[in-house]
This record gives sequence, structure tokens and C-alpha cells, in this order.
Amino acid sequence: MTITIVKSAPYLAVQDLGRRGYRDVGVPASGAMDPVGLAAANVTAGNSLGAAALEWALGGGSIRFDAPCSFALAGATADALLDGAPVETGVRSLANDGSVLEIGGFPTGRFLYIGIAGGIEAPEVLGSRATYLPAHLGGWAGRLLKSGDVLPIGKHRDDAPRREFRAPADLGLDYSQRTIRVVRGPQWDLFSDGDREIFLGETYSVDAISDRTGYRLKGLPLATEIGSMPSEAVCPGTIQVPPNGLPIVLMADAPTVGGYAKIAVVASSDLPLLAQLRPGEGFRFQEVPVEEAQRRRRRMAASLYTIQTLAVVQGHGEFLAEPWPSS
Amino acid sequence: MSWGNPTAHALGDSAITVSFTVESTKEVTARIRAIGAAIRASRIAHAEEVIAAYTALTVFYDSLHVSYEQMSAEILTKCGEASGTEPATEGREHRIPVEYRGPDLDSVAKATGMAPSEVVEAHSAVWYTVDLLGFVPGFAFMSEIDPRLELPRREQPRPRVPAGSVAIARKQTGIYPFDTPGGWHILGRTKVTLFDPNREEPSLFRAGDRVKFEPTA
Repeated sequence: MTITIVKSAPYLAVQDLGRRGYRDVGVPASGAMDPVGLAAANVTAGNSLGAAALEWALGGGSIRFDAPCSFALAGATADALLDGAPVETGVRSLANDGSVLEIGGFPTGRFLYIGIAGGIEAPEVLGSRATYLPAHLGGWAGRLLKSGDVLPIGKHRDDAPRREFRAPADLGLDYSQRTIRVVRGPQWDLFSDGDREIFLGETYSVDAISDRTGYRLKGLPLATEIGSMPSEAVCPGTIQVPPNGLPIVLMADAPTVGGYAKIAVVASSDLPLLAQLRPGEGFRFQEVPVEEAQRRRRRMAASLYTIQTLAVVQGHGEFLAEPWPSS
Repeated sequence: MSWGNPTAHALGDSAITVSFTVESTKEVTARIRAIGAAIRASRIAHAEEVIAAYTALTVFYDSLHVSYEQMSAEILTKCGEASGTEPATEGREHRIPVEYRGPDLDSVAKATGMAPSEVVEAHSAVWYTVDLLGFVPGFAFMSEIDPRLELPRREQPRPRVPAGSVAIARKQTGIYPFDTPGGWHILGRTKVTLFDPNREEPSLFRAGDRVKFEPTA
């Protein structure tokens, strides 16, 4: 079983939940920008939540299924047509041999996930199939997908789960939420009271110059001059404040270490929401204790497991115990 | 009290950074590296990865199964236990052949008031220590360079620095493992592969290793 990229998009790549275990030699977590979207696409399609899927951003294109199979869309909403008929997000759809899935505009969000029953069988590199472009690691030859690429799809336990399945609307994630929860960062105390007030009161938006490494924020700059400090570990969600005072939120492909002060870190339950924000969409940060961020993380993992279990019970999903990875 | 008066901070919901109240020196970095190694070796349940840096170390953990409170208490205890042990003898030694014909060799010579040959001599005379890896996989921050060579980063970073470029900035030197943007001054180039995911140990360098550059004709 394979799929063919008929017409690629400016950004289309194979992603999973990222790499673990090599941070000490500088290998970032990478993986899906919205890991909950990827997991939702997978479990709805009948996979375990960390299977390799397509991450799609920035505009239209199409893929062809070279055998009958099931798939599901999640994350951003997209105008999607399967052989001309509209495809709903969060619902298992059945493709026939030769079916073409066309992706058009994105009414909401930034990253669309296409989970395909069986998962994309790209080779694992350092324990993951995630594409990390700066070092050409993983994914499909370490690069973005091109028109004409043919990707192998793994053999699903049931060959292809043919029964319909609709994921519950509540994934524990509300993409319309415009409050992003953060935990105080290691250098929170170095910022002035005034700066902390600005940080938690300002309506920020994501700058257009943002990518998988980091989202630059637009808004009122912070004034505290901390300068650079000895580098130490950072992770996706870390909010660094460079000398110009405008925070940068590190995202999936962020380096493993950084030398700017870290005012806060986005809760992993809310990082997918931030990842899906488009330039100009306003949001605010809300400080929560680390215990609450951890509670929300556990709740989110539990709801994904519930969907995975439902998918098994209602439609021949594949149940594999698989850990929800760290940030 | 433990060495360096360690304090724990949450780095989000799944990592803990322990900061030590110390000035960054070679000895301090070596000691924090040793504490990091001890934490790694102690195999704390649900602790996943350790990054030892200059004045802090960070532990990534599985927060679905252990709370911040419990994990930070365990890590601080280990920091206390490990702080008495002397840093282990430093890591492996690497000799890296370099063709010193980098695009910034002349500008570095000019800025430092040295001849290009003196720059090469100064850069290749020292055994450097790998302090930390990061920026991209396999990029080693090494210190310390001859004080005469200390320069701020280039004002205009290059959008693409070729893989293998040997470069300096401030007190450090490093080698670019991949074609990436970069703001360091490029002195030369090596053919050595710094990171290869197919090797048993993908990164040529580990923190604590010692590196010397050898000019090739």
C-alpha cells in the first residue's frame, strides 16, 4: 500500500511525536507542531497516537491513495475533497483505490494532519520518523515532500479499518481558545514587576516571520535588560526574551540550548493552540502553577487514550500502549 | 549545604532546571557535568534526559507519571549527594585536521592585529574542551580560545555557512555540522563528519571531550 503526492504544498512533511534521548548532543525534539492534532488524526484513522502522519501547511495540493484505506483529518480545518466530495475533520473517511484527496484553503488554523491507517512507513532515524529539516533528519529523505513522491503505508492490523468512526468533539482542546497558559520560567524573577504585568496583560499576536523553530511575538516590548546569560537547556514552549524585548516562543524544531532569559514556558496542553495561531490573531498569556499545567497535560493524554480506545471498540482501531512524550 | 547552592525551577510542565549560584568557569562547568552524569547514572524513575550546561543542568521527565514536586526533590537530593564527588577525568581526545583558508581569516587577522599565520597558530595551539552541544545536532561549543582572538559575532550573520566550517566568536570555537545560518568568523574547514545518525554514536563529540585543531597543508 502506498500514497502518491500528486501535487505538493509549500510545506508538506512526514511528522510524528518527535525524537527523544539525544538532546545532550543537540538533537531537538522536533515532530508535529500540534502533537494533539497529529494524535487525533491518527487515533481517528485507527492508528496508535504516535504513528507517522502528514503535516500540511500553507495552501493547496493533493494526494492519491493507491489502495483502499482509511484516513482522518485533524488540527487545522481545511477545505478537503475526496473524489470531489467534502471531507469532515475528525471523522474516519474511506478512500478507494485511486481516490484523490484534494486540500484547498484552511478556514482556521495553520497545520493540518492527515492520519492514514497503518501510518507512513518512513524509516526511523534516531527513534523517530519526524522530519527535522536543518539536519536533514528523518521524514522522507530528511526533506519536504515533493510532487511525485510515493510513500509506503504500513500494514494495518485489519488491513483497512472499514467502519466509520467519528471522534468525540471534545479532544480536551478548544482551538478557538485565545488564552495560552504558561508556567513561570527559570528567569521569571529577573523581570521587573512592570514587565511581568505587560507580559500577562498584553494582547500578543504571532509575527509573520515565524517558523517551526520559533514564533516571534508582536506587542509591547519588555524593558528589563538582562542581556545574554550562559546557555542552558530550552524546550518547545520556552518563551525567551531577546534584547529587543519582544518574546519568542520556541516551537518544535527549537535548538536544545539557548542563551536568552526565559520568562515563562507554555503549558504543553496549550502549545498546540499557540502553534495553530495565524499572524494577527490576538491572544494573551495566563500564568498557572506547574501543578495545574501537569494536571491539564494528564487530562489531555487521558482524553486521547479514550478516543483511541473508542476507535478500537467502535471501528477496529489498533490499540498499542504508547507513551505520550515529554515536551 | 550542597555545592553551588542549587535551586530548582520548572522549565514548563515536563522539565526541571537546577541553577547553581556560581560564576561560569571551566571548573564549574566540569563539576556540573559530573553532577549531570551522576544524575543520569542514578536512573531516577521517570527521568528521561539530562542536559548539563555552564551554570545549570536540566532534567526532562515524564510528567504523566511523576509530579514536579517529587521530581525536583529527588533531583536536588542527587545534586547534594553528587556535589562531593570530584569531576571525573575529562573525556576523549580528538585531533581535527583543518584547512585554514576560511573567508574570515583575513578579517580576523586585521581585527586582532595579527598576521593570518599567527591566527592559525593561536587557534591550533590549544586543547579545547567541549562545554555543551546544541544549536543543531552535533554542534559543540568549545572553550577557551586565545584571548587575542576574542571577537564579537559578525554583525551580519551569513544565511548559509557550509558544513565543516571551523569558526570562532567571543571566547569560543566550534564546527558547523550542517549547512546552516551562522554568525561566527570562519577560519577554515574540516572534512570530518560531526554528526551521522547512522553511526552507533551519532555525534562525534560529547560534552567533556577535548579537541585540538591541526592545520593541513
